[in-house]
Amino acid sequence: MMRARDWLAAAFAATLLAAPALAKEVKVALVPGGPHPYFANWEQGGKDAMRDFGLAAADYKVPAKWELGLQNQLIENFAAQGYNAFLIFPGDPVGTNGPMQDLASSGIPSIATAGCTKDPTPALFCFGTDVGHSAYLGTKELIKTMGGKGTIVHFTGNLVDPNTELRMKAVQQAVDESHGAIKLLQTIADIDRTPQEADEKINALLAARGKEIDGIITTAWLPSVSAATALRRIGDKRIKMVGIDHDQVVLAAIKDGFVHGTMLQNPYGQAYIGSYVMEEIVGHGCKVNPNAPFKKNAYTTRFIDSGTAFLGADGVAHYQDAMKKVTQDLMKTFKATYLTCP
Amino acid sequence: MKGLLRTDWIGLLVLVLAGGAALAAARPEFLTAYNIDVILVSFCLTVVYALGQGVMIAIGHMNLALGATGCLVAVAFGGVLEVWHLPLALAIGFGLLLGVACGFVNGWLTYRTGLTSFIITLATLSIFKGAALGITQAQPFYGIPAAVKAFGSDRWGPLPEMLLVALPIVIVIAVFFGRMVVGRQLLAYGGNPHAAELSGIPASRVVILAHTLSGVLAAVAGMLSVARLQNATPSIGDEWLIASFAAPVIGGAVLTGGHLPVIGTCLGVLVVALINQALVMLAVDPFYVQVLLGLLILGAVGLNRLREVRLGTAPAVRLS
Repeated sequence: MMRARDWLAAAFAATLLAAPALAKEVKVALVPGGPHPYFANWEQGGKDAMRDFGLAAADYKVPAKWELGLQNQLIENFAAQGYNAFLIFPGDPVGTNGPMQDLASSGIPSIATAGCTKDPTPALFCFGTDVGHSAYLGTKELIKTMGGKGTIVHFTGNLVDPNTELRMKAVQQAVDESHGAIKLLQTIADIDRTPQEADEKINALLAARGKEIDGIITTAWLPSVSAATALRRIGDKRIKMVGIDHDQVVLAAIKDGFVHGTMLQNPYGQAYIGSYVMEEIVGHGCKVNPNAPFKKNAYTTRFIDSGTAFLGADGVAHYQDAMKKVTQDLMKTFKATYLTCP
Repeated sequence: MKGLLRTDWIGLLVLVLAGGAALAAARPEFLTAYNIDVILVSFCLTVVYALGQGVMIAIGHMNLALGATGCLVAVAFGGVLEVWHLPLALAIGFGLLLGVACGFVNGWLTYRTGLTSFIITLATLSIFKGAALGITQAQPFYGIPAAVKAFGSDRWGPLPEMLLVALPIVIVIAVFFGRMVVGRQLLAYGGNPHAAELSGIPASRVVILAHTLSGVLAAVAGMLSVARLQNATPSIGDEWLIASFAAPVIGGAVLTGGHLPVIGTCLGVLVVALINQALVMLAVDPFYVQVLLGLLILGAVGLNRLREVRLGTAPAVRLS
C-alpha cells in the first residue's frame, strides 16, 4: 500500500511530466507612451481579455510623462516583475526597438500597439489604426459634407509621433483627389501634447482666418477636443468638422450639430485582441504566420489594422457598440489569418 | 520722458507695438475682437504662472514643480466639483489651499534641508504630477459647472472675463514687490542672501513665503485653465515650465535673483503670444515652427538687452 509520501512523490513526478503540455502562465503588460485619454480603453480591453482567455495578468500602467526614458524604465520594471508579453505604444518609432530587442533577447515577445516601430523591428507585428486610411476616410467624409468644394484646415498630432506624418500625407492625398475643388489652407501640428497649446493655436487660426475656412479635419485627440470646443464657443455651425476619437466633448458637439462626425479608433480592441494573441503565442506556442496578409505602411511591412469607423450624429448614443463590433469582426478571423498554432 | 526711456521694459513695449502693427498690416483680421480675445486669454493664463516663477527668480530660486502644482490643483478642483459636488466658492478655496500647501511644502523642505530649490521642486514635481495622474487615471474630469465654463469663454468685446483675475494679480504682485516691506525683503534676499540675513531678514520666512506665493499663483493658473479648457485634464501645466522662465527673462529678470520686472514679465508674455500668433497667421511650415519660435524669442531678448547695454541700465550679472 502506498504511503501518503509516495502519493505526493508520484503526483509531483506526474506534474513534471505533464508540464510541457500545460499552458504557460501569461502575464501581459500594456504600456502606453505617456498619459493620454486615448489609452484609457486599453485598461478595460486588458481586463476583459484576462477574464475571457484566463490570462494570469493583463496590467496597464502609464509612464508619468511622454518621455522615452520613462517608458523604457517602466518596461524594464514590468519585465523584472515577471511579465512575459508586452503591448507597447512606441514612444519613438526607432528608439522603442531598443527595449523591444532587450525583451526579445530574453524570449519575451512584444507587439507595437496603436503605433508602429520602424523595420527592422523585434516587434511581432504592428497592431493599430491604419491612421492614414482613417485620416483619408475622415477627409473624404468632410469633403462630402462640404458639397465637394471649399477650403479646409488640418489639426494634427505631435511631429515625433510616428502616425502624424502618415496622417498629413493622407489628408493631402484626399485633397489632391479633389482636383483643385478643395484647398488645404494650413496644417497645424504638434498640438496633441497639452490642451492649452491646442486651444491657443486653433483659436488663433479661427480668429485670423475663420472666414476663409469651410471645413476642419482633426486627426489627433486634443486638437479634436479643442476645435470642437472652439466651434461651440463661437457658435459656428457653418464650418464643418470631422474629428477623431470619442472624447465626451466631441461626442456632445456632434450631438448638438457643431461637429459633423468623428473617426472612431479601436483602442479597446487593440488591448483585447493583442492580449489574446499573447495568450496564444506565449501560452500555447503559436507563432505569427510569416505569410499572413499584412499591410505595409511607412514604418513596417507587418501591419494589422485594428479598425476604424465613422460616427455621425445618429450613432453617438451607441458609439461603444460600434467599437465592439469592429473588435468582434476582427476576432472571428484573426487566429486563422495571422497565427500558426501547433 | 528720460526716466521712461531708462525703464527695462520700454524696449519690449516698442517691440510689442511694432510687432502688433506689422501683424495688423499683414493681416487685418489681427485687430478683430475675437483675435484680441485669443491673445488676451493666452496672456491671462501665462502671466499668472510666469509671475509664479518670477517670484522664485526674485529670490534666486526656481520652481520646477510649478506646472505640476497647477495640474494637481486643476484636477483636484475639477474632482471636488464633479465628484463631491462642492459649491464653487468652496472648490476655489480648496484649490487655493492646495496651492498654498504645495508651495509651503516646497519652501519648508528647501529651507530645512538646505538643498537647492532645483532638487526639492524636481522631486515634488514628480510627486504632484504622480498624484494628479493617480487621481484622474489620465482621464479628464468633465463635470465642470456652467458658471466656470462661462468665465473661461465670455468676453466683453475683445476683453476676456479672465482679465478680472489676471489684472488684479499683476497689480498686487507689482505693489507687493515695489511698495511693501516684505516684498522688498524678498528682493533684498534674492540680491544678496548673506547680507540680507545679516541685516535681520529671516531666510526661513523669505524662502517659505516666496514658495508659498508661487504655489498660490500656480493654483490660480490651474483653475483658470480649467475654466478655459472646460475640463480638468491631467496634462494641464505640462508646457508651463519653459514659458514660465521665458517671460520673466525676456522681461529683464536675472536668474540669480534680486529683481522682478513685473511690467517686463507682462510684456514678455505678450511677445511670446504675438510670436505664436504670427507663426499661425503666416502659416509657417509645422516642421519649422519650433525653430522660428526660438529664433524670434532670442531676437526679442537680444534687442532689449542691446538697448539696455547702450543705455547702461542692464542689470549686473552676478557670477556665483
